[in-house]
Amino acid sequence: MAAWSDLVAGIDRVLLGKEHPVRLALACLLAGGHLLLEDLPGTGKTTLAEALARSFGLAFKRVSFTSDLLPADLTGINVLDPASGSFRFQPGPLFSQVLLADEINRASPRTQSALLEAMAAGRVSVDGTSHELPRPFMVIATQNSLDQVGTSPLPESQLDRFLMRLSLGFPEREAERALLSGQALDLGAMVAAGQPADLLSLRRRCRRQHCSAALIDYVLDLVAASRAPDRPGAPLSPRASQGLLAAARAWSLLQERDFVTPADVQAVFRAVVEHRLDPAGRGQLSRALLEAVDAIR
Amino acid sequence: MAALAAGSVGLDPTWLLGALTLALLVLAALKLVEARDRGGRRLVALLQLLVCGLQAAQLPDLLPSLVQLLSAVLALAGLLQLEIGLATPWRVLLRQSLQVLAAALPMALVLFLLVPRLEPLTALPGPSARAVTGLSADLDPGTIATLVDDDGPAARVAFGDDRPPPPERRYWRVLVHERFDGRRWQRENEEEEAAPPQRDGPAGRAAAVPLEAAAGRDQVWLAEPSRFTAVPWDGRSGSADPRLRIEPQGELRLLRPAIERRSYRLRPAAAALAWQGQTPGPETLSLPAAANPRLLALGRSWGQLAEPAARLAAAQTWFEAGGFRYDRNPGVLPEQDGLDVFLFEQRLGFCGHYASAFSALMRAAGVPSRVVSGYLGGTWVVPVGGASFLELRQSDAHAWSEVWLPGQGWLRVDPSVWASAGTDQGPAAATARADSPQASSGWRWLQRQWWGLDMAWSRWWLSFDRSRQEALLEWLLGGRHWALGLVILAGVALGLLGALVPWQLRRHRPRRDRIDRDLADLLRQLHQLGLEPRRGETLEGLCRRAAAVDPRLAAPLQRLARCHAQRRFEATDPRSTSARQAADSWRRSMQQLKQARRSAIRQGNGCGP
Repeated sequence: MAAWSDLVAGIDRVLLGKEHPVRLALACLLAGGHLLLEDLPGTGKTTLAEALARSFGLAFKRVSFTSDLLPADLTGINVLDPASGSFRFQPGPLFSQVLLADEINRASPRTQSALLEAMAAGRVSVDGTSHELPRPFMVIATQNSLDQVGTSPLPESQLDRFLMRLSLGFPEREAERALLSGQALDLGAMVAAGQPADLLSLRRRCRRQHCSAALIDYVLDLVAASRAPDRPGAPLSPRASQGLLAAARAWSLLQERDFVTPADVQAVFRAVVEHRLDPAGRGQLSRALLEAVDAIR
Repeated sequence: MAALAAGSVGLDPTWLLGALTLALLVLAALKLVEARDRGGRRLVALLQLLVCGLQAAQLPDLLPSLVQLLSAVLALAGLLQLEIGLATPWRVLLRQSLQVLAAALPMALVLFLLVPRLEPLTALPGPSARAVTGLSADLDPGTIATLVDDDGPAARVAFGDDRPPPPERRYWRVLVHERFDGRRWQRENEEEEAAPPQRDGPAGRAAAVPLEAAAGRDQVWLAEPSRFTAVPWDGRSGSADPRLRIEPQGELRLLRPAIERRSYRLRPAAAALAWQGQTPGPETLSLPAAANPRLLALGRSWGQLAEPAARLAAAQTWFEAGGFRYDRNPGVLPEQDGLDVFLFEQRLGFCGHYASAFSALMRAAGVPSRVVSGYLGGTWVVPVGGASFLELRQSDAHAWSEVWLPGQGWLRVDPSVWASAGTDQGPAAATARADSPQASSGWRWLQRQWWGLDMAWSRWWLSFDRSRQEALLEWLLGGRHWALGLVILAGVALGLLGALVPWQLRRHRPRRDRIDRDLADLLRQLHQLGLEPRRGETLEGLCRRAAAVDPRLAAPLQRLARCHAQRRFEATDPRSTSARQAADSWRRSMQQLKQARRSAIRQGNGCGP
């Protein structure tokens, strides 16, 4: 297993100048959460997803969500085997380790719901038979935030199922210059830094990162502040506080520490919390929350 | 568990309480094997503590007490491990269980001082195995082939002026044997020993004789458990203690159960005691006519001398000229006429032989006479940092004679001296031993120190009995015993509070206090630099900002921020080494920060106020 910096640098060489989002996406992967990428087309969402999958040698599949996509197109179906005369399950694209759900807001709410259920439960049911999804399993969904015509935006309750929402944004001028001059690494040339089993053991380590009572108090104060009656935005759910702590643990692991500090919480706070506070938010609400709670403890 | 088992050595399984304790111990051991869950293990630890308490009630001596303390600490540590967590290092556990014991100390002290003693418990018919003594009610030297050195403790005595008495006064009498059947010397009042002593007998204050005014030669005695209520004394002291009684024949009896260590205090009497002038009864002259014919003939030949003192002198001359030798392995004397064989054929023996034969001879010569057994000499022990005392061991046991002369009363005569003069055995050597310098070998020195410790423990701990307690309460409360309940309640409540409050405080805010103070100190420093934390800013952020303002402070500030995160958020025990290192590192970095600020102010371009 290579060092963190190698891991981040490996993805970064594919996706020039995006170190912070790359680290956050990696933390999301380590924390065992699902990722929502919200950005304009052509900013590298797909590249990030594929680079993440390749960095641990995970099986990667991509599904473009369209309005006519049916749940069975995702989960797979039972087909009649003429030779034996019985039904055989034909797994759909959900049966991968990293699934890129492109333009998720273009699919019908029914299909979205099927995907999100699979994300939460880790298994799918087809014709009354339950099929386990492979592990690790991560969904990276993208949605185009500007183009709202003919889309079904994810409702708040579904957004809550994504651990983080990230946007990559435009690259800096120098990074884009490097991109144009062909310095970016081709995805196919990227080497895996670890195996899927490494990822599982890292996830276990992640869960063991120490959260002191003082730190948990800090998280509780943040969540309590979001629930104050006069505060704008939706109050944070217990799932949100769990996710915040899990993401902060992964972030502290990426910082090569074995305990979590308020700085780790702050680093992941916007990505974990903003889409739950306000689906259309641009980071103001999460910043206001951070400023409402004293972080020196 | 092993410590508990070791603590049980010396328990008497035939006695009710001892048997119960052993049964509990076995139960705890079996439960330990069987226990899988937390509740079961908790029960084992509690059983262990209970066994400790029961042991303490039965074996209050120093060594068992230490073993009990050890097993209590171990049982507490086990209990704490269950409550705190299995991963706690054993050193922390041990320290915490000691803290628990220390917290319980005030309450234990109050209970020890104030709760009435359970007399019935200690007055129960005692375990027979503990009644060990070198003395026996029947003195029959003829049946003893070899004198075995039993080095068990017999008694200890400390003197008010810290000096041992002169050698001729180191005869410590215990039992007086007046009845003689031709072979055995028996005690007069043996039957009384079987009956439990009455606290307030008619002769209860017989020992209250006129005493010397000065406390200089006060003796504090400590007698080991024995079969007899008679205790060692010097024959010339008295006491105001109502439990002490001087018998007419010169035994001192302590009216307390003999199964435990007994402590008593004597002071030299101002005049000769009553027993010394006591007119001898007819039994002090009785001699079976059928036994020992040659002894009878010799004694009667002296009886023709007019003066009893002359008969005594004749006997001494006869013994000194007879070629007698003091010997610890004389062999068994025949059942019939044993003393004849000793006196006229074997001429070998130890103190019992000489005392027995001499007393019989004196009776034949018409001089009232009897045998006294007790201790002779002793070892003068000077412990480091403690009061010196005379240690009497069972190997110091001795027997001598007493004769009654008209006008002089009962006189001590030790015929063994005549036989052992010039040898390194026998009474002369024994009395000299007390004066010999402290033994040279390290082992002996250690032994003496242990005796000293044991003596101190017994004097201040074991001898705090009911009468002392009553005296203390009298002094404290002036006779108002209703206040006793209040005092006990208040003491128990205070003890509980004293134990629980710090415990709770430690539990809830163990390291916040110290770290909070340090953090406030750092924030004060930064405030003096004109830096206030922004809303929602972490300490790292604040320190980075401060470092940007004055780069000279960057290194200590960075270390302080890291150190604070480590102390506050890392998973370490606040008392572990790494936590201490972090605290040290914080202190050093703080000093560096202050130094850097001072030098910045000196250079005039710092950001200080």
